[in-house]
Amino acid sequence: MSGSITIRFRKESGQQIEVQARPGISVMEAAVMNNVSGIEAECGGACICATCHVYCDQVTEGVLPEMSGEEDDMLDMASAERRATSRLSCQLRVSDKLENAVFVIPENQF
Amino acid sequence: MSAAVIIGASHAGVQAAASLRQAGWQEPVILLSAEKDYPYHRPPLSKGYLAGEKDEEQLLLRAPDFYREQGIELRLEDPATSIDPVARKVVTRSGSFGFEKLLIATGSKARPLPLPGAGAQGTFTLRSMMDARALRDGMRQASAAIIIGGGFIGLEFASTAIRHGLDVTVLEAQPRLLSRSLPAALADFIRDRHVSSGVRFRFGDQVAAFEVSGGRVTGVRLGDGQVLAADLVLVGVGGEAETALAQSIGLDLAAGGIHVDGHGQTSRPGIYALGDTAAFHNAYATAPMRLESVQNAVDQAKSAATHIMGGNAPLVAVPWFWTDQYDLKVQMAGLARPGCTEIVRGDPADGAFSVLQLEGDRLVASYTVNRAADHMASRRLISEAPAVNVALASDASVPLLRAVKAAA
Ligand SMILES: Cc1cc2nc3c(=O)[nH]c(=O)nc-3n(C[C@H](O)[C@H](O)[C@H](O)COP(=O)(O)OP(=O)(O)OC[C@H]3O[C@@H](n4cnc5c(N)ncnc54)[C@H](O)[C@@H]3O)c2cc1C
Ligand code: FES
Repeated sequence: MSGSITIRFRKESGQQIEVQARPGISVMEAAVMNNVSGIEAECGGACICATCHVYCDQVTEGVLPEMSGEEDDMLDMASAERRATSRLSCQLRVSDKLENAVFVIPENQF
Repeated sequence: MSAAVIIGASHAGVQAAASLRQAGWQEPVILLSAEKDYPYHRPPLSKGYLAGEKDEEQLLLRAPDFYREQGIELRLEDPATSIDPVARKVVTRSGSFGFEKLLIATGSKARPLPLPGAGAQGTFTLRSMMDARALRDGMRQASAAIIIGGGFIGLEFASTAIRHGLDVTVLEAQPRLLSRSLPAALADFIRDRHVSSGVRFRFGDQVAAFEVSGGRVTGVRLGDGQVLAADLVLVGVGGEAETALAQSIGLDLAAGGIHVDGHGQTSRPGIYALGDTAAFHNAYATAPMRLESVQNAVDQAKSAATHIMGGNAPLVAVPWFWTDQYDLKVQMAGLARPGCTEIVRGDPADGAFSVLQLEGDRLVASYTVNRAADHMASRRLISEAPAVNVALASDASVPLLRAVKAAA
């Protein structure tokens, strides 16, 4: 697929899945479209369910958009532990800056 | 045959299939869909999809591969046409399927407006992907839209249509918007936001007919004979549960839906109903009711799957719902009760505030505009039901979770 970006999802177990995502969609959508389990996305990206939680410690600092207050508030209610690198994947847009980025999927989303 | 057959493949049906597999159901899962599209998120149909911000692939509930990989036999365009509860089989357009467990997740359908001219070109309802495609195309060609019904779907469409440069008029039969679902302060705030963007409202008018010329809609005629011109008319007068199959086998109904217990079981053991089509006595409600929300569809699906797999804890879930219009993210939790008192947190003039409804000193319902933290805190407070400190809760600078009375 031309123009597509390679991103990776890693389970906390260490299993890693590489997917091709087109720019403009969200990281959550890239996971769902590629049948990556562990991202539930109950609300479909409306930023109201916090079941698309990922850890971004493997993502180069500065390439992710700033967190909105809303995302920040939602993350407080995520089911898995919130860490400094926690983000909601529905709020992250795929762009060439994310080439080869790795998103770690927490053990549980509910 | 010991299959689980699920009728309806949307938020409830797909979640039920996934949860059954997750819980270890080993037998076949047959997921029947009346639609031809892979199951998709419905809320964006009136939001990001209509606005052109999301395409169809972005709306998928699950990747097409998911069903195969999970051993879920998704049968698109194969609607159930009858149920034989004695022989325990479902007849579909293409064949028949025996079941051990039957899950009815047929959802709701748009309530029609059976007036002269209904169905003319240029008139729409919005419920399915097919509807949304047609409406999106229609919107691109239209210049003046009339929306019949000031509910959530109609208002979401209004906010998109006005930004696309259409002239937009909303007709609401009641004297106020959303009078059954929102506190007046919030409903008026939403109305004012629309008005400031140029949407016109008419309250209390009856619609008598669609005006049609050459098969195309040209406007709407009101009860007093006045004609309002439009080349697009969206009918958004609510949804009704799709209960025909359930009724044909004599399942008990309540509140317009299929009556189920806290496990999602209908009046016939082994037959469940879930999502928009089901009516149950939610722990936070005063009577059986239908809830039309993604949260309810998902939670009821999980609960039915749990019961099928031998679990026995009834569903206790705080209802929640959202709507997005312009820059407003409106989120609701809990259920209003008669005789509640109301607190407003924050100033509507700032574009971010919450309305809290209390019964005694317990929070029972919450409505927030651009205050996600309040929404999430409300879900907790409604579920855990501590005594709320009204003075602290009224102070928008105090985190809502801290606005509770010290335990005695
Ligand atoms: C435009 C729109 C916007 C919305 N926005 C929001 C929102 O912002 N937040 C929110 O929480 N909720 C929202 N909702 C409500 C939410 O989408 C519903 O509550 C949810 O879809 C209910 O899921 P369900 O699976 O019970 O039923 P449905 O989604 O109604 O699906 C039922 C499915 O069953 C199929 N079916 C019916 N009969 C048969 C048959 N005999 N055989 C096979 N299949 C059959 C139907 O074709 C349909 O595909 C919105 C709904 C719409 C239409
Ligand atoms: S998908 Fe619901 S918050 Fe991200």
